[in-house]
Amino acid sequence: MNMLLLPILIPIASAIIVLLLPKSAKLLRDTVTLLSTFANALLAIMLFNKEILVSYPWVGFGFEFSLRLYNFSSFIMAAAASFGFLIALYSSAFTAAKNYSKSFFVYLLISLALLNGAVLSNNLLLMLFFWEALLITQFGMIMLGGRLAFRTATKAFVIIGASDLCMMVGIAIYGFSSGSFAFSNNMPLAGLGGLAFVLLMIGAIAKAGSMPFHSWIPDAAIDAPLPVVAMLPGALEKLLGIYFLTRISLDMFRAETGSWVSYLLMIVGSITILFAVMMALVQKDYKRLLSYHAISQIGYMVLGIGTFVPVGIVGGLFHMINNSMYKCCLFLTGGAVEKQAGTTNLEKLGGIGSKMPVTFACFLVTALAISGVPPFNGFFSKELVYDGALERGWIFYLAALVGSFFTAASFLKLGHAAYLGKADKDRKDVKEAPYQMLIPMVLIALACILFGVYNKLPIKFLIQPVLGVDRLRGHNYWGFPPNFILAIISVVVLAGAFLNHIYGVKKTGSGLKAVDHIYHAPVLSEIYDAQAKGYLDPYNIGLGFLNIFSIAASWFDKAVDWFYNVFSVKTAALLTNASRRLQNGNYKTYIILSMATTVLIVLFLLRSV
Amino acid sequence: MSSVLILVPLFGIIGLNMLPRNVARRAAFWFAAAVFTAEILLAIVHQPAFWTEALVRFDSFFRLKFSVDSLSRIMLICIGVVSLSSLVVAKSTVSDEKEAFKFINILITASIGMSGIVMVKDIFSLYVFLEIAALSSFILIAFNKDINGLEGAFKYLILSAVATVLMLTSIAILLLDSPDTAFSTLHNEIAHSRGNFIVTFAIGLFICGLFIKGGLVPFHGWLPDAYMAAPAPVSILLAGVMTKACGIYTLMRIVASVFGFTDPIKNTMMLIGMISILVGAFAALGQTNFKRMLAYSSISQVGYIILGAGTGTFLGLAGAAFHLFNHAIFKGLLFVNSAALEEKVGTSDMSRMGGLSERMPVTGATSVIAMLSASGVPPLAGFWSKLLIVIALWQIGHYAYAAIAILASVLTLAYFLYMQRQVFFGKLPPGLEGLREAGNGLTLTASALAVITVGAGLAFPYIYNHFLLPLKEIFF
Repeated sequence: MNMLLLPILIPIASAIIVLLLPKSAKLLRDTVTLLSTFANALLAIMLFNKEILVSYPWVGFGFEFSLRLYNFSSFIMAAAASFGFLIALYSSAFTAAKNYSKSFFVYLLISLALLNGAVLSNNLLLMLFFWEALLITQFGMIMLGGRLAFRTATKAFVIIGASDLCMMVGIAIYGFSSGSFAFSNNMPLAGLGGLAFVLLMIGAIAKAGSMPFHSWIPDAAIDAPLPVVAMLPGALEKLLGIYFLTRISLDMFRAETGSWVSYLLMIVGSITILFAVMMALVQKDYKRLLSYHAISQIGYMVLGIGTFVPVGIVGGLFHMINNSMYKCCLFLTGGAVEKQAGTTNLEKLGGIGSKMPVTFACFLVTALAISGVPPFNGFFSKELVYDGALERGWIFYLAALVGSFFTAASFLKLGHAAYLGKADKDRKDVKEAPYQMLIPMVLIALACILFGVYNKLPIKFLIQPVLGVDRLRGHNYWGFPPNFILAIISVVVLAGAFLNHIYGVKKTGSGLKAVDHIYHAPVLSEIYDAQAKGYLDPYNIGLGFLNIFSIAASWFDKAVDWFYNVFSVKTAALLTNASRRLQNGNYKTYIILSMATTVLIVLFLLRSV
Repeated sequence: MSSVLILVPLFGIIGLNMLPRNVARRAAFWFAAAVFTAEILLAIVHQPAFWTEALVRFDSFFRLKFSVDSLSRIMLICIGVVSLSSLVVAKSTVSDEKEAFKFINILITASIGMSGIVMVKDIFSLYVFLEIAALSSFILIAFNKDINGLEGAFKYLILSAVATVLMLTSIAILLLDSPDTAFSTLHNEIAHSRGNFIVTFAIGLFICGLFIKGGLVPFHGWLPDAYMAAPAPVSILLAGVMTKACGIYTLMRIVASVFGFTDPIKNTMMLIGMISILVGAFAALGQTNFKRMLAYSSISQVGYIILGAGTGTFLGLAGAAFHLFNHAIFKGLLFVNSAALEEKVGTSDMSRMGGLSERMPVTGATSVIAMLSASGVPPLAGFWSKLLIVIALWQIGHYAYAAIAILASVLTLAYFLYMQRQVFFGKLPPGLEGLREAGNGLTLTASALAVITVGAGLAFPYIYNHFLLPLKEIFF
């Protein structure tokens, strides 16, 4: 048995154990889950930066069950395993009183196994297997949210399923035209190659949650249990999606700076940053606001990787790990607030900062990080992305910068409305969350500070090896941002966001309404209205098209029905009668029939002579 | 050493008949079971060294050459499995010991004939073994000596005689030109004189003779009558392997290794296959008798095999060979179930049955599996063979045939669903309340065949690599 099978087998085995435990054995269940996620994390760290290749014969036809561990996959695996453990710890308290606790742990463990499998896979077909299976656990996890979650789960399933279908076609084209399903074919982008790239890219960015495949995330933030949101769209799916996007761009295709796919990625990234953050700005719910940021931040990564210049890719990947850390932690603080205060509606919250000091501190650190305030980790990764974007065009830089202005503005609003201000009279006696929930938050918040202050650690050991020495050409991207002017501009923008907040608070007298002057701005307010009615949701637009298609399909179906219900029944009756007449039991008829056909066949064969 | 499959049973029968009667009657069953099991195992293990090298002198007893290649091997497995099923069913349906002993004797003779057909390498010995198999099946059909059986046997006899005349004429014509009757020599001679009027004429006659033997539309007249009139264990044997070995396998073998896949032959095979599929399926839709419906279904499924073989490509032949195997298994299974119904209900008229599933759960469940496999529902074995055939048709550009082949699968499902509803689902008709499941012999055979169908479907990659891929070496 090879070491590489363990990251897949351990979580699966413990998922089966948890499944077999009775529902009431809560302590045992928590212990098994925590131990196995901890073992998984330990294993991932032990395997870190090793090179292992293992291959077993699989279904035949030349497809192999082939796993490969190298710096990138070990990095993703270690990150995911750590999140897995922390979320399991958090959930042991969060889901304690919920009746879905057992199912959640089973899904969590299976998801970890599938993610490990997807990251370790050394060919696209095997990866597709794990990747698609994740869709099922995702559906199941969202469904845990109860009866109302069904619509959201279906929505997520349809969106991700459709984009996975694109990816599947992309894999088929890629394998067909490059001759193998390996990751390292360096396929040119011309012709079919370009199509394959776009299809594979759709699969990757949809998994990561980029626009226009995002619209299920805000719904899930409300309907699904919080640990699910913190885990899937918050951390694991981002890691996986961006991992695959990077593999596509770096290993599978010969994508060059200045190619059209680069522009495509940068445009998708910029649009995602801007639109999602504008939506985040006006949300009135803690979790829903965060979920739009989960979309918006993906834009930075897609933009960074789409630049195809080393600094941008390093920035994009650094942003990926940073974002999954602080976004996960932010969702966890949201969960703590939800559990302790009983609501995440910002209109009802307020002043809980003094009652939940640890949660507030964690929120503060991660909010500063996501807004890109030095010296937290988000600052450094954003600076690298800015640097890369500016190299490719000022418009992309501008989009990223505007995005960061609104990010800061919306977090000022969120922090102000939830933690500061006057406490609601119903929520006078809110207490701090239990320690199982605090430990993960504190650990992640500390890591955010560490990755910022000592950013040499992640960049040197985690990210730069992914690009390899050839691409980096001796540059190192750790330490203070290379471009000092850009850093100054960023700080000025942040200060602007702060001033904007003060202006808004002065004008309306409330933290929650601090951005209302943006909400009511001309043009923007109409877009917001359309969005609120769901007109701009690509899912709804797609459903409209589907309706037309389904009418056409029903006509086709009627034709098929006619064929089977009318035509074939009549033909059967006709033939049965005919055969009865011929099948009269008289062997002379049979002989005559046979001989006549023999003559015909012989004549047919002779005709060709 | 291949002749072990011919000589051991042959001398076995002679020996059995020399033993005292009561000993012989008891030993016969076990002897036959051992022979068939050995045949299956030898074919599955398939040591090339065993077939060719060891004991050359043993083979030289016959002045003819036997050899076993990958196509013969698949057929040998079918012969073994179906003969064994027929034997077990006979043991539980033929109660008279004397009759059973006679039956086993003729069954073994029939299996000698079929094994010979699949192992010979020259056209005249092929004819001899075809006659051995045909003669024993005439006797088997008329085994009960009732009016229907005699009539069915008579029709088969007459049509078979016509086929024999056609084939013998053809062999005589071919021999005008060829120094000997070996497949390889004939192949070279025919390839030499391609386009010769009289040779093409002979080829046409031979193929039509085999069409009669295989019961393809419009040569099929004898088949429904014979299948329906035959006693239960005999219809298992007839439908499962007899007509396949005599007609279909021989056609594939002769065309592949003697006549060669020329365009007119391919077109003829595909057209006849297509007609058989459609006419067989539509005719099956209108039947009210269980066994008669199965007979028409056989015609339709045989059409698939000829359609696949007619493509002349590796994939088509592989699909045809695998469908040959699948058909032997699931049609054998359905005839075993028909034996169970006949024994318990006393008729095979479907209008007098209904709701039997609750009374005969094993029979009901296994017939669902067989019918799903026959209709090509994944992951059962029938799905894979039909898939291979459809892909092969698509590859050579016969899109219309491929499409019709798929649509006809739905027809297969239609008549089988009709059968299921009539026989196994719904309400029990009055008078059948006290019905019991058939005996162990029948249910065990049915279950074993069902397991083979499911297993072959699930293990398809293995089967493809180990049984079907080797077909490439003999034909291409």
